[in-house]
Amino acid sequence: MPGDFAFKGCRKIQGSQIIHLLKAKDFFLFDCDGVLWHGEHAINGAPKVVNSLIRQGKNVFFVTNNCTRPRENYVNKFYRLGFTDVIQEQIFSSSYCSALYLRDVAKVQGQVFVIGGEGVRKELREAGIPIVEDEIDATDATIYDCALTQNVKAVLMGHDDKFTFLKLARASCYLRDPECLFLATDNDPWHPLQNGRILPGSGCLTAALEVATGRKATVIGKPSRFMFECISSQFPLQPAQCLMVGDRLETDMLFGANCGLDTMLTLTGVSQMKQAESYRDSKQHTNQNFVPDYVVDTIADFLPAFDVLD
Amino acid sequence: MAVSKCTRLTGPLIKQLLDSVDNVLFDCDGVIWRGDQAIPGAVGVINLLRKNGKRVFFVTNNSSKTRKMYAEKMSLLGFDAKEEEVFGTAYCLAMYLKTIIKLEGKVYLIGNNAMKQELENVGIQQTGSGPDLIFGTPSDWANVPLDPEVKAVVVGFDWDFSYMKLNRAMQYLSNPDIVFVGTNTDTRLPLEGGKAIPGTGCIVKSVETAAQRQAQTVGKPSRFMFHCVASQFGLDGARCLMVGDRLDTDILLGSNCGLKTLLTLTGVSTLADAEAHQKSGAPERLGMVPDYYVESIADLLPALQG
Repeated sequence: MPGDFAFKGCRKIQGSQIIHLLKAKDFFLFDCDGVLWHGEHAINGAPKVVNSLIRQGKNVFFVTNNCTRPRENYVNKFYRLGFTDVIQEQIFSSSYCSALYLRDVAKVQGQVFVIGGEGVRKELREAGIPIVEDEIDATDATIYDCALTQNVKAVLMGHDDKFTFLKLARASCYLRDPECLFLATDNDPWHPLQNGRILPGSGCLTAALEVATGRKATVIGKPSRFMFECISSQFPLQPAQCLMVGDRLETDMLFGANCGLDTMLTLTGVSQMKQAESYRDSKQHTNQNFVPDYVVDTIADFLPAFDVLD
Repeated sequence: MAVSKCTRLTGPLIKQLLDSVDNVLFDCDGVIWRGDQAIPGAVGVINLLRKNGKRVFFVTNNSSKTRKMYAEKMSLLGFDAKEEEVFGTAYCLAMYLKTIIKLEGKVYLIGNNAMKQELENVGIQQTGSGPDLIFGTPSDWANVPLDPEVKAVVVGFDWDFSYMKLNRAMQYLSNPDIVFVGTNTDTRLPLEGGKAIPGTGCIVKSVETAAQRQAQTVGKPSRFMFHCVASQFGLDGARCLMVGDRLDTDILLGSNCGLKTLLTLTGVSTLADAEAHQKSGAPERLGMVPDYYVESIADLLPALQG
């Protein structure tokens, strides 16, 4: 049964089992990095899988914690890498969803102090949310003379390669006001690049701010449910008819479990089969939430099924 | 042995306590000074303790000054203190690397000038201190050149903390043979003028999250801070009194090392905090209950003057 944590299969599937799944599900939610592409290279067969699903009338969405580009840039990337049928409305990034949260859920009245790049800022501006624009680029600015902007009602922490101690200090000043919201686009501690290399993620920066303030951030991105609620508010999703496809057990699979969706792990990204099995065999029953229902080596394993279904 | 704890130190109890110890260890921020102002009466207390034949030491988690800089600050505020009596985490971390880790090699330093100096004083070279801003592409960052002589990543208070430094530390720490040490985990750092800013604990946590590893910590409540003082001066814990304003660092250090403990209420922790730990009965919280408390260390003056 979907979402039944006691019996997550963690089963590698292929051939007729995939056909069965493709027939049973109407909504396909894909993570991007490590599932559809690695950096600027599409995973072999992935564009054909996505284009085929869309052409067959399936509802396809993209759910990514990556907040480094605005959605319109993502559309360009999809197109550039061969996913030619993807439109902006299908893309749900943590930056876009943070903007929706601020506008529609928190209904923030006042400015937002953003630690993050253009990927986040642009989404907020497009949603009509005022952000603190007077940036601390002055190299001699210190905590002694940093003039705090009035009326800051939320702090949003995103991925920021220009992160500095001064930004941390300013953010923690704003968060002294308990009425000021503390949001984070995501909690990922690190991200993989090609060749096994990794880079620090937003989770490291959020952790610093949580320690400074003694407060916990509200996390917008996976594994929190909010991005699913975002999609649901715009499209008629039925959890039982959804399949969440991702590469990271602690974000994608947990996200699926939290939203009552069936989950599929693809092995082209972060998590390995061994790790999934380890969670499955663990005595802690909450670890079952990290276990996928299904496993494929790559989403290209869907391709033979399309030949049958066409 | 059931000992009554969290007792107000007053009257004849003061002399009784002071007679039972030879050495008094003071935390600094919130105990003998606040920012750049001495706590009224603190200078008198320290001077009189010495006159009464007690040895006095200063034990602080603040990593932004060398022992020399601390001695200078104390002098400015009227305290008569020698460098050798001051134990800040910049100094203690250098000693930890030298005497406990016996480090052979360089350190990648996220820290400050004081830490750099204290490391140099024990002959340990560092790389990485100062500003370090982002340049190039994500691929460049993930492939930053790593100095093969670096054998430890060290984290202390750093105004110049940045994403790039976080990245470099993470890249070094992916090698499990590289040692990971932090000065302290205090969440806030008190400044001159009474303001407070994010503390070293934030920076340590950030690096721990990226590296998915835990740092060893030198500062209170780690026993090493006491060990550093005790080994240099031949101190017997049972004849020592730890005076501090924080239950989770100063008092816990004292309890961990078998010292007598005195909480002063001129800093971070309150009497209510102490009593809450006491009432909880939880074993991990009992170490944070002080033996005694005073409103301010000036409360010791009458007994010392008498």
